[in-house]
Amino acid sequence: MVLPPVAVIAVFIGFPVVAAIAYTLGRAGGPNSVVASLGQRQFIVQKGVTFDAYRDILSNPTIHRDLWATVWVTIVVTLVVVAVSWAIALYLRLTDSWLARTISALSVVPLFIPVVIASYAILVFYASDGFIKTVAYHLGFHGFPTLGYTLTCVTLGEIWVNIPFGVLMMSSGLNGVPNNLIEAARDSGATMPRVVRSILLPMNVIPTVIVATFTAIYVLGSFTVPYLTGPTAPNLLGPSMANFFNSFNQPQQAEVLAIVVFVLALGIGAVYVWANVRTGRRSGLQS
Amino acid sequence: MSATDIGLDLQHVSKDLGGRTIVDDLQLDVRTGELTCLLGPSGCGKTTTLRMIGGFLVPDRGRVLISGQDVTTLSPDKRPTAMVFQNYALWPHMTVFKNVAFGLRLRKLPKAEVKERVEGVLDLVGLTHHVHSYPARISGGEQQRVALARALVLEPKVLLLDEPLSNLDAKLRVRVREDIREIQQRIGITTVFVTHDQDEALSISDRIAVMSGGKVEQYADARSLYREPATTFVAGFVGTMNTYEATVVPGGVALAGDLVVPCGDLSATGDGVWEVGVRPEDVRVSLDDAGAAADVLREVPRGHYKELVLRAGPHELRAFVGSDLPPADRVSISFARALLYRDGVLHRSATPVPAHS
Ligand SMILES: Nc1ncnc2c1ncn2[C@@H]1O[C@H](COP(=O)(O)OP(=O)(O)OP(=O)(O)O)[C@@H](O)[C@H]1O
Ligand SMILES: [Mg+2]
Repeated sequence: MVLPPVAVIAVFIGFPVVAAIAYTLGRAGGPNSVVASLGQRQFIVQKGVTFDAYRDILSNPTIHRDLWATVWVTIVVTLVVVAVSWAIALYLRLTDSWLARTISALSVVPLFIPVVIASYAILVFYASDGFIKTVAYHLGFHGFPTLGYTLTCVTLGEIWVNIPFGVLMMSSGLNGVPNNLIEAARDSGATMPRVVRSILLPMNVIPTVIVATFTAIYVLGSFTVPYLTGPTAPNLLGPSMANFFNSFNQPQQAEVLAIVVFVLALGIGAVYVWANVRTGRRSGLQS
Repeated sequence: MSATDIGLDLQHVSKDLGGRTIVDDLQLDVRTGELTCLLGPSGCGKTTTLRMIGGFLVPDRGRVLISGQDVTTLSPDKRPTAMVFQNYALWPHMTVFKNVAFGLRLRKLPKAEVKERVEGVLDLVGLTHHVHSYPARISGGEQQRVALARALVLEPKVLLLDEPLSNLDAKLRVRVREDIREIQQRIGITTVFVTHDQDEALSISDRIAVMSGGKVEQYADARSLYREPATTFVAGFVGTMNTYEATVVPGGVALAGDLVVPCGDLSATGDGVWEVGVRPEDVRVSLDDAGAAADVLREVPRGHYKELVLRAGPHELRAFVGSDLPPADRVSISFARALLYRDGVLHRSATPVPAHS
């Protein structure tokens, strides 16, 4: 019974991954022969492996800047998404007003808007002739910066895209904390901020780690938002990958970049697994 | 009794929730060191009352006083009360030690004192092993003790327990309730204990407040509550009670169908129709013709006594008799004691005959 799923994964994921890794290491035979016959600036060996393609990419100053841009945007987006979704979810957990319900409904709206459309909307919103600049101009701020086609705009876009998942995840985590655990803490003499610090925060570690890791991995590999709203260079690795593949016709370099992103995501995934195991061991509970 | 003897005083407390009055002009005083049970059917407002004492709800009307001090609007963290929740509400991410120490840490006590007091209270509840276990790894009865220890360690003036035993199995329930009573008496803490189990209430309380529809129907010790239920609600809720409509006749009561049953001790006399309540142990059963005739429908052995289900005229009644009464199809009954109610309220005009048990 486990054979069909394993076979599907092996054929559609395992095999292409292995082929791609082989290609980045200079092996152009077999399934890589077609792409290798078309690509430019390739580093091919007939025997053994070579890391020349990696050297080529990792010594490229443009790529350095893209890599740093990616890391920074990822860190900032992750921190902001965790903080904002925590704040919203906490507010929803502790109050039951029409305002809370409205915020809760609004926070998931981005989920229903295609990223392409949202990206254009965000771009126009922050463009040199966009809403923000126009309002700032009328309020007398004539030198207000144009955010369209900057990494700031990419960051804002990524935050916008990732907030719904963050809020949903954090909310379900916080809603899983029974009321009487909060009341018991109040009864013991804890103020509300102390309840948040000593009860809600430690009991919501796993959802927080999930939001942080998933957001980070999403941003690392994202394409649409940085491609549409970001600068030409430096930009995130997603658009760079596309450039190497489409514009420069250097599929080997594009795949090297993909593997770099994969390794970064793997590191983040390890954090997720570690946090899960640690919490599980401490409380004897699943979550 | 001076005012300082009253550990907890609820004065005309009312609470409306969801457009209904859940607790209605409730009056209750608990003496310092006394254990009072709030007993009543589901939904009668026991938890709501307890939550107002603990500060989780603010009364719409009335006042809550603890040792004479008005705490009506204080939040739970500012009150000298401690609550044991029904499902214990232990924090799953903290060890037993940390659960108990939490409140002391908030008070910024020195580490050594925290350790000493936590160990002291865990010893008191008989839980010296498992100190560093997580709550998920200990049994229900042990979790219950941790919850009790967590409440006691803060040395509150009033201890509140909301059905603290309902998640335990029957045997453990009896043992733990005795432990709770023993600890409560040892440290002399004013306690309010919510339950809907009359057995529990009768066996551990100094006094019991029977609640119905957000009001206290009767507030008395277990013995008077059982012997003299002030209302027909209490009579039906606590123990078993045979109830009939009847008139008072010389030497007894006349039930419908012209059935006259002799009775030695009526709580009141007077014309008109009464609601008459007779405890099963107050139904005297004999094999002579002294009283009213009754058929034996069923005999239920109850260990050291037996329960007879009888039919007298159109009425069914239950009687507790000694196991030595020989089996019979037809017996004669009389009442040793009967309580007379009108509009659901006990009338007592005759002085009670002292019970000879
Ligand atoms: N927040 C609320 N809003 C509306 N109604 C409520 C609220 N809290 C409680 N009630 C109602 O108040 C009534 C009394 O509730 P309460 O919890 O005090 O009962 P209880 O005596 O503790 O019952 P149980 O033995 O089932 O625990 C119930 O009918 C309940 O539905
Ligand atoms: Mg209740």
